[in-house]
Amino acid sequence: MKVTLDESLCEAHGECVLAAPEVFDLDDDSDVAVLLDDSPPEDQRENVVMAARLCPVAAITVED
Amino acid sequence: MTIDAGTRPELGLLDVETYANGNPDTYGLPLDTYQWYRDNEPCSWQEFDDPALIDALWIVSRNEDIWTIDRDTETFATDRGYVNFWKVTPVDPTMGGSPAMLSMSGQDHKRNRGVISRGFTPKVVRRLEQKFRDYAIMVVDRAIEKGTFNFVDEIAHAMPMEALGDVLGVPPEDRAKFFHWVDQFAAPFDTRITPSFDDVMIAIGELMVYATELAEKRKVEPGEDVMSQIVKASADETLSEEEMMGNVALLASGAAESTRTALSHGMHELMRNPEQLAWLRERATDVPDTVAQEFVRIASPFTHLVRTATRDVEMHGKTIREGDRVAMLFASGNFDERAIENPRAFDLSRSPNMHVSFGRGPHTCLGKHVAALEIKILLEELMQRTRSIEPAGDIDYVRDAYSRGVYSLPVTVKPA
Ligand code: HEM
Ligand code: SF4
Repeated sequence: MKVTLDESLCEAHGECVLAAPEVFDLDDDSDVAVLLDDSPPEDQRENVVMAARLCPVAAITVED
Repeated sequence: MTIDAGTRPELGLLDVETYANGNPDTYGLPLDTYQWYRDNEPCSWQEFDDPALIDALWIVSRNEDIWTIDRDTETFATDRGYVNFWKVTPVDPTMGGSPAMLSMSGQDHKRNRGVISRGFTPKVVRRLEQKFRDYAIMVVDRAIEKGTFNFVDEIAHAMPMEALGDVLGVPPEDRAKFFHWVDQFAAPFDTRITPSFDDVMIAIGELMVYATELAEKRKVEPGEDVMSQIVKASADETLSEEEMMGNVALLASGAAESTRTALSHGMHELMRNPEQLAWLRERATDVPDTVAQEFVRIASPFTHLVRTATRDVEMHGKTIREGDRVAMLFASGNFDERAIENPRAFDLSRSPNMHVSFGRGPHTCLGKHVAALEIKILLEELMQRTRSIEPAGDIDYVRDAYSRGVYSLPVTVKPA
């Protein structure tokens, strides 16, 4: 599974961090989310797919 | 009970009487009517005959369609007038209001949201948590002394108001007058709350003058609150004076009353569902996030919001024309069995909860984590400080088809 985060779209809504805290993070002083792991293990799939679905600006994509 | 496919329900989807006389067995919502529209006319043209309201609009009632519309702000614009089905709102610049992030689009929206959201960082929210707990303890203890009271006024009102005061940075000595103004916008058409629409306009005017004074104060003593962020941004011209006004009006009209509404409907359901109340009491020291989300779903504090089509769009066999107004009926989307399992059940452990009460697109509620935190903390203190909470009369709803306020919810509590 390959995850990408488009930082130019991200508006720090934080939905991704709530859905997949092991894959995304949001710093106190940053305006965009951080992708902690761009090829997370399979057991994270459900969370990551949910994060992509919940992101209000569609900044997250998941491939295979 | 369901309504026969052949018979179109007589009641309109945004009819004030429907909500003012709502059925407490269905959360005060016309759930059968919603279901009929979702099944038979998910994109429905509705007309209104009231000088205070829009003439006509499309009402979209399915959960999935609401997600689609809310996300596609190019096709369904926020910056062409009408926030909801009222003709006049303080944040609609096409009708004399000031521009706020909710009524902007594209780069302007991003810029405005960027400034205000600095007052909502995880760090700021963590700091608010302790203050929220102090308010929760104060209001719950005060209410317990009364024994029997209106839950809406004694508990659900104070907590979100103080929280809004903190978020904005309103000093304690100004809060009484600030709360008074905010109360005027909560239900502009319920004469028990706001005698006439003029009172709303007066309150907005006074709040705007006050906002300017507060901005001056924050220039001298900046804090981490939203007003200080706004002042910083006006200094380097990231935000104009008009935009400051609009965003303050947005927060004043959208933040407190919505959270009060969620708390009130949620409390009402807790008293009707003893097994859910027991479940919550077992978790009183650390209330799970699913609880606030389920409160917000069944409350659907804003029934809908309005967008404007920027081109012709087909939807479920209907043609929405460029310039037509489109309402996303959140209250129906929150009970759509296509997206939410067993939607009529009140389930505090519901997960995932695909409700649309906070919106789901680029304008998604900026205060949703703050609202959820307020609900969580208030319930923790309420559950731990009381042994029982029981109804002491019937629920009475605010007369409004946009905001789903509760007018009174009499309860009797016994201390733990
Ligand atoms: C249960 C309580 C609340 C509900 C149901 C609620 C609901 C909403 C909804 C439906 C929207 C528009 C979403 C969209 O168009 O997609 C919104 C936007 C907004 N809300 Fe809330 N809200 C609540 C509490 C709060 C609080 C506590 C605050 C601030 C302290 C707040 C601040 C805002 C702001 C600033 C926006 C505009 C965001 C934008 O346009 O980008 N809300 N809210
Ligand atoms: S949900 Fe989307 S916008 Fe929000 S922080 Fe994550 S990537 Fe950014």
